[in-house]
Parts: sequence; C-alpha cells; structure tokens
Amino acid sequence: MTALQFSSSVPLARRQLLARRGRTLAGVIGIAVALLLVLALKAIFAGMEGRLTAFIDGTGADVIVAQEGVTTMHMTQSALAADAMAAIARVPGVASAQGIIYKGAFVETGPNGRSGIVGLVGGGPVPDLVEGRPPRPGEIVLDRALANQLGVDEGAVVQVLGTRLRVSGQVEGTAAITGSFAFVARATLEQIVNAPNVVSYALVRARPGTDADELAIRINQDVTGVTASTRASFARSERSVVGDMSTDIVRAMILIGFVIGVAVAGLVAYSQTLAQQRDYGVLRALGLSARRALSLVLVQVATLVLAGFVLALGLVGLLALVLPMLSPTLVLSIRMEDVLQAASVAGAVALAAALIPVLHVVRVEPASVFRRTS
Amino acid sequence: MRSGGVPVARRQLLAEPAKLLVALAAVAAAVALVLLLSGLRRGLGEQVTTYLDRQPPVLVGQAGARDFLSQVSVLPPDMVAQVARVPGVADAAPITEGYAMFSLHDKRVLALLVGYDPGRRGGPWQLAAGRRPASANELVLDRVLADEHGLSVGSTLRFRGTNLRIVGLSSGTSGFMTPLAFSTRATANALNELPDTATFLLVTPERGIAPEELVRRIERRVSGVSASLRDRLAANDRDLFVGAWSGPLLAMVLIAAAVAVLVIAITVYSATRDRSREYATLKAIGLGHTALLRLVGVQAGVLAVSGTALGVVLAAAATRGGTELAPKYLIVVTASDIAWMGVASLLFALVAGLAPARYLANLDPATAFRR
Repeated sequence: MTALQFSSSVPLARRQLLARRGRTLAGVIGIAVALLLVLALKAIFAGMEGRLTAFIDGTGADVIVAQEGVTTMHMTQSALAADAMAAIARVPGVASAQGIIYKGAFVETGPNGRSGIVGLVGGGPVPDLVEGRPPRPGEIVLDRALANQLGVDEGAVVQVLGTRLRVSGQVEGTAAITGSFAFVARATLEQIVNAPNVVSYALVRARPGTDADELAIRINQDVTGVTASTRASFARSERSVVGDMSTDIVRAMILIGFVIGVAVAGLVAYSQTLAQQRDYGVLRALGLSARRALSLVLVQVATLVLAGFVLALGLVGLLALVLPMLSPTLVLSIRMEDVLQAASVAGAVALAAALIPVLHVVRVEPASVFRRTS
Repeated sequence: MRSGGVPVARRQLLAEPAKLLVALAAVAAAVALVLLLSGLRRGLGEQVTTYLDRQPPVLVGQAGARDFLSQVSVLPPDMVAQVARVPGVADAAPITEGYAMFSLHDKRVLALLVGYDPGRRGGPWQLAAGRRPASANELVLDRVLADEHGLSVGSTLRFRGTNLRIVGLSSGTSGFMTPLAFSTRATANALNELPDTATFLLVTPERGIAPEELVRRIERRVSGVSASLRDRLAANDRDLFVGAWSGPLLAMVLIAAAVAVLVIAITVYSATRDRSREYATLKAIGLGHTALLRLVGVQAGVLAVSGTALGVVLAAAATRGGTELAPKYLIVVTASDIAWMGVASLLFALVAGLAPARYLANLDPATAFRR
C-alpha cells in the first residue's frame, strides 16, 4: 500500500471530525450562531423595509408629490399648502391629485390604557382593508396587529391626541416594529392637528396614456416648492431609510459575526489539531505529505464552516416562521443578496480560522509519533 | 499525595501558554461582545433624551401628547398665552420641534430640528463653533453630524425647499438616531407652513412650586393641552425608541451571550478532556476524586475570571475607540453588566469544566501508563 493510495482512499477528514463529535458539534453551532448574527439582522431590516412601503404600494398613485426635497414618509415632515395642491392639479396629464395628511401619533384606549404608535394618514385610499369600512369623520381604521394589541374591535372607541374616534375597520400588513398605519378622514386629522388647508403629500393619478415618469418630471418643472416622484421611486427611497440608518449597525454586526466565527472555528480547529497531533505524526510517518496534511486541515475547517452556514440558514428560516407568530410586527425577510453576503462572511471565516491550525500542522514532524507526549 | 502542596492547577494552566492565551482571548472576546452590545442598547436609550434632559421640569403639548419625539403636537398662539398666565409659571418658552430627514451625500440622515425663540430657553446649550441662530433660515447643527458630512460654519444645507445656512455647531448634541439641529421657531414654522404655532412649551415653575403641582394646575386651567413632567415624557420616548430597536438589539445580545457560553464551554471542556492523561497520572499517584474536581473547578474558574477581566478591558478599550471613531454612538457599560457577565461566565465555565466529571470519575489511573 503506497502512501498516496492510503491518503486518498481513507476519509481522514470525516473520521477526524467525527472522532470528537461533541467538540465538532459545538464548533458547528458556534459558527452557525455567529453567522446567524449577520443573517438575522439583515432579515429583520429587510422585513422592516417591506412593511414600511405597504401603504405607499397600496395607494395606487402613479406619482407622489411632497414638499421640495422630501422623498420619504416615515419620520419625515412635509407640508404642501393649498396653492401648491391647486398648481399640481393643473399640470397637464394629471387626472386627479388627492391630498393626504401624514402625522405620527399614539392611539390610546383611555387615559391609563394601552397605546401604540401609528403613522396616522388623513384622506386618501385605505389599502388592504380586511374588515369593516373606510373611516368617516370621527372614525379610525387600525391595523389588525395594533387592534389586537390594544384589545379593540370594530365599534370600539379609541383616542388620538385627546380626540375620541370610533374604530370602523381593520387593515393588514402595515405593522412593523417601528409602528403601524392608521387611517382617518382628512377633515378629522385637520381638526386634530389644528392645521386646515395644509396637506403632507399629494397622491396623483395620471390620465390614461400619460407615463408616470414623464408626469413626475412635468410636475417638478411646472410647480415650484415640490418634489414629485413615481410611486416606485418613492417606495425605493422609503426603503432606503432603513438601509441608510442601519448601515453602521449592520456593518458592526458583520464584523462581530466574522470575529466570532473566526474565534469559534479557529478555536475548535486548533483544539482538534492539537488533540490530533499524534494522528498527524502517524499520518506523516506513513507518508502523508505536508501539502496533503494542510489540505486535510482546510477540508475540516471548510466542513465546519459550511455546516455552520447551513445550520444558520436553517435557523434564520425557522426564526422567519416562528417570530411573526409570536409578534406580528416582527417580520423577517430572507433575501438572496443577504444570504450571499453571509456566505462570503463564512468563506472569510473559514480562511482566517484555518490559518491557526495550518501553521501548527506544518510544524508536525513524522518522528513525533515515536515520542511520548506526556 | 496532597494537591495543595504542588501548584498543579497553575502549572497545568501555564504548561501551554499559547493554548491558554487562545482560550483567554476567546472568552474575553465573547464577554466583550456581550458588554458592548448591551452597552449600545442602553446608550441608545440615553441618547434619545439628550434634548429633554436639559429642559425645565414641565412640558406642555397638545391635548393627548404623551411623547416628545414621535407624536405630532400643534399649539396655537392663544394656548401659549393661556399657559403663560397660569399662576406658578415662571416662564413658558415655546418651541417647534420635529424630525428632520436630511438628505446628505445621497443618504437619509435623521435629526431632530428644534426651533426656538432667540434669547429664550430651548436652544443649544453648548457651542463648539460659530453662534446661535438669530434670523430666518439660520441653522446650528450638531458638530459630530456636521463633521461626518463635511459641513462647517458657513455651509448651506438644502432642506424642504429652503437653503439653511449653518451659523454654528453645537456639542453634546449627537446621537445615533436623533442628533440635534436648531433654528429659530419662525424658520421651523415656515417649513411646516404653520406660522405662529408651537409644538411644546418648556415651562419653568416659580420658586417653591413643585412640578407635579404645576402640571395639575395647567391641566385644570387650560383646555386643549397636556402638561407632563419632563421625566415622564423622556421615559415614554425611551420606551418607544429603545422598544422599537430593542427587539433586534436584544436578539443580538442574546445571540452574543449564546456565543459567549459556547466559547467558554468549548474552551473549558476541551481543556479538561485534553488533560485527561495528566489527570489520570494525578489519580495514579493518589489524588482523590473530590480533589480532582476541585482542581478542574479552579482551572475553569481562573479561566472564566481572567477571561472576563480581559473582556472588560477589551470592552473599555473598544468603547473608548468607538467614542473617537464614531462619536454618534454611545456605549454605556455599567458595573452591574460587568458583575452579571462575571457571574455568568464563572457559572458556565464551572458547568463546562465539571461536565466531564463523570468521565473524570471513571478515569482509569492506569491510562496514564498507556501510550
């Protein structure tokens, strides 16, 4: 039996990994948890992005017009006076321009009752109405998740800034960890915020045959003091709010995930290499080349990291299933680009973690097998 | 043989310094990670109330206002005058505040824009450069935010269709979510198309008037407003902000804690198993089972305590480095966090070290003499 035949026919890497199952399993779990840091955070933010634009997507508007420079809705203030609305309506190609008011507010069940933060929309369509009817003056439509949280149903009375409103219906799919949407009649919200004749945004529908991009350009040219965006462009900008605000945190988590992954994978691989030092000595004495020994280490580390990556994917998939059941506002969305990013982190982890044991194995002499180790 | 005569634990730990260092580094990294993440979570809450913390003890907003940052509140001029006339009010300074979503370098940057009346309360409390806003469209911007985006005194910022000229930079006003910017109230109102209004009144009680009493008086005498203690509003803001970000951050802290447990467990367990021949030798020369367990326990404890101490040093260094490199993030590591982490890592290390107790109990002393 030649050395080459021996090393290629025996599944050494697998046997070495399975020799100490507990440690291998711990290593795989550790790497999985490290990668889960990256995957879970990205999935949480991706889920938030989807929920943020639920209202915008459902408006059916071709173009959304805001105060100049404003291309977002959440945590944003925009004010369009009546003359701006009139000017928008006069732009050729505009079929209708509906003003809506958007304000942050709390919905409360009473002075000392439960409460929830909402993006309160006055006027405009009520997308994804799953129960009841659109709000009339003095009424409010809540997201089902908030209604459940507050313990209110259709017909119940809630308060917004001291104004009592009757719940007339429920929508679905707008609740995120930052809050949900609620809908009232525009006159109701004007009265609540003491601001008649000032809207936040205009939802514009184009005449048949008028392109939305072209209409947005036309409005921007013809009306001063406003910024018109197509609905798709506005939604993209809204989604980027989450991305822009979470960039640093995501970067930090990727770095942390990488460091932990390297630490855990490196620690496990190093411990295993130390424990298998005699095995490597035997293998080298039997003719295993240094290069083959190195590839053995690399295969082990790569297997650990790959298994960790697969486990992390499974865990984040499980979280995406379970978390919304526990909290309807916590939605995880797993995107291919994020999985690929985690895979690249895993690849970097494998390379960095392999360095530690590789340096050790290079120094193992075949003669060491004939020495007592302790 | 008595193990007390020979420093076996120390000798075993120091026999392989490289291995000890790797183990210590792994435990320290895991501990530091948990401390930093939980510190970031706490810092987020403290930053949210940076503005409120420096204001008088009573604030008045529109009826039903229970939150300073995230809720609309509009007070017409007559209400401002009515509150100012309530007995016990020394001063009622109107401000118009609200989120400002700046677009800087093609990125959305959230800030809190506070419009105040020059010469009254509500403006920046410390200037790093320039002066306070005095007339229309003048802006004081948080110094950290300005530095991040290459803005300085004299720069112009286009916001909601208006060119705002930066006349000053404030310090002590940075924050991850809500760095502060200041303008005159007239400027803020013009941006909102709501002239002469205010969102809140910063109310200073007369000497000898308790804030709680003043809150009750204002609510009794002025309809259509909500008077709140500053600390109550701050707590609500903190709950809302930290609550929203708490889920992801808490998940991260928990994952980090799980990693810490795992790292400590792997390190200590591996070390115990790897020394099985040495333990067998010690048994062969007369070391009892209890003494053996104590030996393992001491080693695990030393590893956990030293690793935690190193982790605290690492976390402190990272906090200091973070303050220099990214001053908008506040990391607040408390003594109780450190104590909890120390206890937890000691516990996990002991469990991990003593997990192979049965293995050690059944360890045949004769194995020491086998190849």
